[in-house]
Amino acid sequence: MALYKLKEFHAPKNMQEAINILGKSQEAEILVLAGGTFLHGLEARGLLSDVEELVDIRKAGLDAIRDDDRGLLIGATVTFSQIQTLPSVQRTPWLAGLSDALAYPPVQIRNTATIGGCVSASCPFFDVPTALLALGATVMVKGGEAGERQLALPDFLAGLFVNSLEPGELVTAVAIPKCPGNGASAFIKLEGNANDLAIVNAAAYLSVDSQKTCTEAYVALGGGVAETAVLSDAARQILIGSKLDAATLQTASEAVTADISPMSDHRASAEYRGAVAKVIVRRTLERAIARLA
Amino acid sequence: MSQLNVVGQSLERPDAYDKVTGGKGYPVNVKLPGMLHAKMLRSPYAHARIVSIDASRAERLPGVKAVLLPKDVPQIKFCPVFFVPVQAPSMVLDFDVMNGERVRYVGQPVAAVAAITADIAEAAIDLIDVEYEELPAVFTPEEAMAEGAPQLHDEAPNNIAKTPFFEYGDLEKGFAEADFIFEGTYETQRVHTCYLEPRVCVVDMDRQDNVTIHVTTQHLFGTREKLAFALGIPETKVKVVKSPYIGGGFGGKLELTAMEPVAALLSKKCGRPVRLEQTRQEDFITTTRNPIKVYLKTGVKKDGTFTARYAKSILDCGAHATHGSEVIMVHGAFGLFFNYHAPHQKWEGYTVYTNNMIGGGYRGYGAPQGSFAVESQIDEICTKLNLDPIAMRLQNARKQGEPHPFNPAFTLATYGLADCLREGAAKIGWEKARRRDKGSSGAKKRGIGLAVHPVWVSGCMGFPDIYEHSGAIVKINRDGTADLATASMDIGSGQIATLTQIAAEALGLPAGAVRMSSAGDTDNLPFDAPTHASRVTYSSGNAVKEAALSAKKRLLEVAGSMLEVSPADLEVSDGKVSVRGTPSKTLSVAEIAQRAESPFVQMTAQGPQPTVMEEKGTIIGLSSLAPKSNPTPCAAQFVEVEVDTETGEVAVLHAVYAHDIGRAINPKAAEGQVEGGFQQGMGYALMEHIQFDPETGSCLTTDFLDYKMPTAVEMPRKIDSIFIETDEPTGPFGAKSLGECCVITPAPAIANAIHDAIGVRFTQLPITPEKILRGLGKI
Ligand SMILES: Cc1cc2nc3c(=O)[nH]c(=O)nc-3n(C[C@H](O)[C@H](O)[C@H](O)COP(=O)(O)OP(=O)(O)OC[C@H]3O[C@@H](n4cnc5c(N)ncnc54)[C@H](O)[C@@H]3O)c2cc1C
Repeated sequence: MALYKLKEFHAPKNMQEAINILGKSQEAEILVLAGGTFLHGLEARGLLSDVEELVDIRKAGLDAIRDDDRGLLIGATVTFSQIQTLPSVQRTPWLAGLSDALAYPPVQIRNTATIGGCVSASCPFFDVPTALLALGATVMVKGGEAGERQLALPDFLAGLFVNSLEPGELVTAVAIPKCPGNGASAFIKLEGNANDLAIVNAAAYLSVDSQKTCTEAYVALGGGVAETAVLSDAARQILIGSKLDAATLQTASEAVTADISPMSDHRASAEYRGAVAKVIVRRTLERAIARLA
Repeated sequence: MSQLNVVGQSLERPDAYDKVTGGKGYPVNVKLPGMLHAKMLRSPYAHARIVSIDASRAERLPGVKAVLLPKDVPQIKFCPVFFVPVQAPSMVLDFDVMNGERVRYVGQPVAAVAAITADIAEAAIDLIDVEYEELPAVFTPEEAMAEGAPQLHDEAPNNIAKTPFFEYGDLEKGFAEADFIFEGTYETQRVHTCYLEPRVCVVDMDRQDNVTIHVTTQHLFGTREKLAFALGIPETKVKVVKSPYIGGGFGGKLELTAMEPVAALLSKKCGRPVRLEQTRQEDFITTTRNPIKVYLKTGVKKDGTFTARYAKSILDCGAHATHGSEVIMVHGAFGLFFNYHAPHQKWEGYTVYTNNMIGGGYRGYGAPQGSFAVESQIDEICTKLNLDPIAMRLQNARKQGEPHPFNPAFTLATYGLADCLREGAAKIGWEKARRRDKGSSGAKKRGIGLAVHPVWVSGCMGFPDIYEHSGAIVKINRDGTADLATASMDIGSGQIATLTQIAAEALGLPAGAVRMSSAGDTDNLPFDAPTHASRVTYSSGNAVKEAALSAKKRLLEVAGSMLEVSPADLEVSDGKVSVRGTPSKTLSVAEIAQRAESPFVQMTAQGPQPTVMEEKGTIIGLSSLAPKSNPTPCAAQFVEVEVDTETGEVAVLHAVYAHDIGRAINPKAAEGQVEGGFQQGMGYALMEHIQFDPETGSCLTTDFLDYKMPTAVEMPRKIDSIFIETDEPTGPFGAKSLGECCVITPAPAIANAIHDAIGVRFTQLPITPEKILRGLGKI
């Protein structure tokens, strides 16, 4: 269904302009438009018929990428395809999980979907946010009353299709801190066909010391296992300090049950999601371990 | 069979270039000057009485040109299915275009708007206020048949629209003679054909009721007949324009829906052409393959011989019977019982109304639902009695030379099922694969399965109330090419390629010399039955061949006169006519056509000279005929699957099809049919499912995110198509048909392969990963 009520289409030339527009229009039905891939889906389902203003931020200068020893800082409007071309994403075991996740969307989507849009949508069925969770990503925010904030991704993802942005705020970048030590990540998605949002997905980041003892572990899950993609602290506790042997992986995978509350819908039941979550987590951990130096 | 020159060649499809460069021939691309755009308002309730409709707010919206309400639409009931007469006694006549009193499913059209843009029309339908009084609704056929259920149609007590049955032999005796009795209930789901081009029409209706329509249809003449009836005007007031092709049909564009008459009536109101294009969401709730629940009981001897078979089938036709009155018949006869001999058989069918969406046609037309039951159960029997699935099928199957099962006047002159099984088994390595280790250690298990199916028609010759005849016009041009005109629609499966190759072969012209006319309509084309029921290659093909032969006869008469020999001594090959045995006496077809088309009196150096009167006149051939028989194509299908026992995912690794199609007119196009058929059949087996909210009856799967079909990624890396050419004596150059076999066998073959892999039998489609894990006891 069309955007009947659309009155203004803004195309700010820089970030400040974008923030000003968002700041002025607090009362109106205003939406940020980045790659538009998620918004298009909403529009097609008739869910945007009240929107009055759109702010297209693709020319607002939010497309810088910093890739140095502090980690990766990716501007909000950087597309999936652009991220895929970064040497660290292509080559380091650390970011291999992000690379896995970025490979799932079709190329047309990768060419236009942005990192800012993918986290802002707060959609538990997307893949890239799950991968970002396991990498300890932070969301950079500007505008609104606070002026500027940084939110850890778990805090940013407030609920089903709800993020933590206050009126007037804009995501400006997503930061992935450099991994301490020798880490590797992995991501796996379970989908109904190749044109699907995740039924369940999982990402893991693991690092080990010279004795092959696990020094750091993040396990993230998405795809309808909760209202947002989540980190499993239970799995993390089991993995850290362990030798990452098969039995530990099994126990850790089963422990994720404590941190998820899967949903039932016409695509899968909660029981199914809960059962395969464990399998996918185990396989993801195995994949990450295979990548450890 | 004499040497074939054009038939049997994998020629590039003539429509291919046009399609990959924008497809200007698709009806969706038709634009007429001054055209308006329409949208329909649909009921949000599954069952309700319409109390009132107020469209005044919509009428006032700038850009709105007309609103159509039920009171503006003739309240006539009929059968909208194209291939039967509009009031066919064998069908249920319960369909109406826009009922003003009652809605019976979510999505039933209740009003429509024409506006200067589609967006305005859409905004306007939101402004139409309809007051409904909700009625209790019923969503399963079992509940609908039960005492006290809401009644959908007065003429159908207990919501039973139709109850066909047949019986022969003595069932009790048959079961008494059996050593073993097998019983099972097999359920199939609602699926959509997922044609790519949406249903769309552009209609112009003037004040004198002259209607011209461009529309996505599988049948020009069916559209004409049903649209005229729905509008209450004489049939010849309606002209249906033949689009060069439509973007897929698969049986999903085989009936009139509200779209065409609504657009016509809006056009008449506005005095301008009106375009109505359905969204994918609307298409998903417009037609579907009917879900059928089959209870099947079979008596067998120890050696696997059937003694008796009983089946009861319950078909959910949704709010109106439409195709459901015919699908049930095809299902019972073709899907369940004709394939194998059994001396004692009985079948009861029920076509039942519910407050679900209306059913429709879909490739296979009732047979996939039956085949899933039959071919699954045969494997159960084989497992239990330790019989070989190939031998068991051959033992009970019909054989070449036997009478045709429903029309004993025809024989199964060609029926290569045994060859299909033999060649298919060899290709997939059946013997070895059955014996191998399933991969007992890992999470992934492999299995192999098979299913066979004949389609008992190449057309529908001999069925009550079903249109069958075809016609063609073949005209030879002065440049030695020919134009072919038929009303047979190309729905994406290569009808243009096939028919032009048949015509070229019959005329003796080279490949590519026959062109399918791109202009035509119901005013100037001979009648043709729809593109459905595996019929075009055989039935339309025979008509095309006949018209070509009649043009050729005239060609040889003119050539005979020019060469001063008897036409009987002439032959045509590769565009040249020559005297048999005297190759030096040759004329090109172009020379002959030029002579035929030239003025009778010609100016020469000696002044005006008369030429030969008998040589004059366009060389043309016409035909209109019913097919001679109903030959039976058949297929054996083998698949190898890999089941992930931890996630329940099933990957199809390899598919082998062996088809007896008589003759492959264009082998590459035939392969395309087979591969597309597998894709649809595999989707049916594993993932496709139109789902509804069980409380409200509204559709949950209205786009390709929620409705899952196999993409290129899920398709097996290898599909082998084997064509067994049995050279059907009544077929055009030996051809039978191919359209449907390939879509019927995948579901049971995959279910059988899954059973082989993990030892669990699934009797409800689709076999989703979730069902697999439940079957394995893991959830
Ligand atoms: C066909 C298809 C297939 C897909 N497959 C996959 C897949 O396999 N895996 C996967 O992970 N994802 C998949 N996706 C989802 C895709 O990744 C997201 O739609 C995309 O990341 C959203 O980004 P965008 O830039 O297009 O966002 P938009 O649609 O422009 O915006 C998304 C939301 O975020 C808001 N927003 C955007 N940018 C900002 C900002 N900087 N600050 C504040 N708010 C903002 C918007 O207002 C909107 O609410 C698929 C999508 C489609 C359509």
